[in-house]
Amino acid sequence: MRRRFCQLNLGAVNSKRNITTTAQCQQADGLELGVNSKQRTCPVHQRPRSTHAALETPVFGTATSSAKSWEEVPGPKPLPLLGNTWRFAPYIGNYSVEHVDKVCLSLREQYGDCVKMAGLLGRPDMLFVFDAREVERVFRSEDGAPHRPAMPSLNYYKHVLRKDFFSAEENCAGVISVHGDSWSAFRTKVSRVALSVSAAAQYTEPVAEVADDFVYRISKIRNKDLETPDDFLNEIHKWSLESLSLIALDTRLGCFDACAGSDSQRLIDAVNTFFLCVGELELRAPWWRLYPTRMFKQYVAALDTILSVTLKYVERALEDSKTGGNKSLLQELVTAAGPRVAAVAALDMFLVGIDTTSNAVASILYQLSLRPAVQEKLYEEITKVLQNRPMRPGDVNQMPYLRACVKEVLRMFPVVVGNGRQLTKDTVICGYHIPKGTQVIFQHYVMSNSEENFVSASEFRPERWLLKTSGKHHAFASLPFGFGRRMCLGRRFAELEIHTVICKIVQAFRMEYHHELLDYHIHPMYTPNGPIRLKMIER
Amino acid sequence: MSLRNIFRTVRSTHSYLLRYNYLGASFSNYKSVVPLSTNIPALKDEKVKVTFVLNDGKRIETEAKVGDSLLDVVVNNDLNIEGYGACEGTLTCSTCHVILKQEDFDRLPEEASDEERDMLDLAYGLTDTSRLGCQIIMSKDLDGLEIQIPETINDARS
Ligand code: HEM
Ligand code: FES
Repeated sequence: MRRRFCQLNLGAVNSKRNITTTAQCQQADGLELGVNSKQRTCPVHQRPRSTHAALETPVFGTATSSAKSWEEVPGPKPLPLLGNTWRFAPYIGNYSVEHVDKVCLSLREQYGDCVKMAGLLGRPDMLFVFDAREVERVFRSEDGAPHRPAMPSLNYYKHVLRKDFFSAEENCAGVISVHGDSWSAFRTKVSRVALSVSAAAQYTEPVAEVADDFVYRISKIRNKDLETPDDFLNEIHKWSLESLSLIALDTRLGCFDACAGSDSQRLIDAVNTFFLCVGELELRAPWWRLYPTRMFKQYVAALDTILSVTLKYVERALEDSKTGGNKSLLQELVTAAGPRVAAVAALDMFLVGIDTTSNAVASILYQLSLRPAVQEKLYEEITKVLQNRPMRPGDVNQMPYLRACVKEVLRMFPVVVGNGRQLTKDTVICGYHIPKGTQVIFQHYVMSNSEENFVSASEFRPERWLLKTSGKHHAFASLPFGFGRRMCLGRRFAELEIHTVICKIVQAFRMEYHHELLDYHIHPMYTPNGPIRLKMIER
Repeated sequence: MSLRNIFRTVRSTHSYLLRYNYLGASFSNYKSVVPLSTNIPALKDEKVKVTFVLNDGKRIETEAKVGDSLLDVVVNNDLNIEGYGACEGTLTCSTCHVILKQEDFDRLPEEASDEERDMLDLAYGLTDTSRLGCQIIMSKDLDGLEIQIPETINDARS
């Protein structure tokens, strides 16, 4: 089996002092931080493989005495901003929201590895971090209930508008827009079920069936040039919703041929409305805080619909679980934590699990369509494993190249461009005292596309993920699903869904792209900007 | 949608709420019955010996139940290793990182899964004989296992 571990000699961990260049890097950085220069002295950063190295150097020294003050952190002059964080991705008012990726690149050029964004109207100051080693440090010093800044509008829905429902039982508000003990208690109830590797594998066959249906659907909706229609992304949304309902609600909604008035159509509409509204509500002036705007009412109605549909299916799962047999994830959740927890978990999964996954798939398909050689290699790997039989649990584990391709796309084009934490204690970052309450945003898009963290960062090289030695990449630079106790709760499902559908599509079609190259934009996922018209040629 | 409609929706959500309160109560006793642990339940209460070597050199010899994960062993024996197992074995944190002797590493029945390897890459002070403790299930064959707990970033800092 392939091993991706690093150089260090086995067994000799204690004696081997593997003092890397890290020490010098760090010191050099420390000197530079105050200056507005972005010249870096060390081209490659390595994490210390022997922890002893770290002890002897001030690498992790939160040497508090020498740290500079918050006031000294470089950054643009406070801008007049309006509310602007949506979900995990940071947005900066004054700048073009869709192109925050480029804005962040230039911020880093101008100010260095950490940049202060202060004076944000109605919200805490932000600190953008572009140094993977600092990201590692912040993550590793997390306490039991890391706080990730979230959507104020959802906050309002859960904690004010529908307070009766979400606080009727103790610890039942979910994980999105929930913090502290209440988050922690809920997360513990759900994550052992949701993040279990074997629980996800149990869904291999049904998820593969949905993928088969999607492949069939693709072959039907192509135009006469065999190209996917302009609204192909919407079709991918349907696949995503269908797959997720299978997992979260034990149900085939029938999204590919939903008729008006059905539960599936109501859910599709509600989820679409939610996407549409949430961006607007979070990115524009928050009038809804003053009075219920039209948009806000639609948003609330959509959330209510999602919640009521999920409740209905949870109830059904409850009935079914009495008949015994193999337990589904939903039944596990219901029996372990009660129906309300299961319904709220399903709601949260719908809120963040659909467009993330579908935009990832859109981006992967588009990138593959530009690279016939990669497709061929994938096709070879897939046929070797499957040999014309249906997919079974564990198959994807025999497809390292497939997994590597997905990682590589998510490195270059992470659907969630940045992740963040609101500090629960004062912390030294990049040599500055950062006060508690600051929102620290890890700029993964910038870090995972930087030469300092990845060799030939601008090249699409899935092979880099297959190397025995982990090469030169810093493991904390590309974290598409986050890290730690607050990591993506749907990661196992997302990976299962993505691997399965890409596997099926590559197996069925050769993909080509014959239009102008697409730029990426933040919408609010990082996604190709423009119609995804892929030529799908049967194999 | 008019304001009135919103209120109507609130009311209808409310009726769900009442129904579910009832169900919630009747089902709450399942909580204690259904083990959420992903471990393979031990058939017999067999025990094996394991030794933890902490980063300050201290050795702790203890007994481990067959079928428990190394994380369970740490928790059940109150070993109080700071920060160990932050994500409760859900493979999201890598704080349960352990370093094994080569011969122990080789005799583990299963190699690390893809999911474990993804997290292992993020472990602090990674070595070639590193594994994540929450994924190592104790068996009779592993009697006498010696487990080194690597330093954490927090140790290094202080
Ligand atoms: C490619 C697809 C996906 C990506 C890139 C993604 C990414 C992320 C990221 C970066 C976070 C923040 C993690 C952190 O703070 O460290 C997150 C959180 C979350 N994700 Fe995902 N996600 C995806 C799919 C899904 C799916 C399919 C589901 C549901 C089944 C889901 C459910 C969640 C939930 C519930 C949280 C909040 C966890 C918490 O705060 O405790 N995600 N996701
Ligand atoms: S306890 Fe978190 S990965 Fe093992």
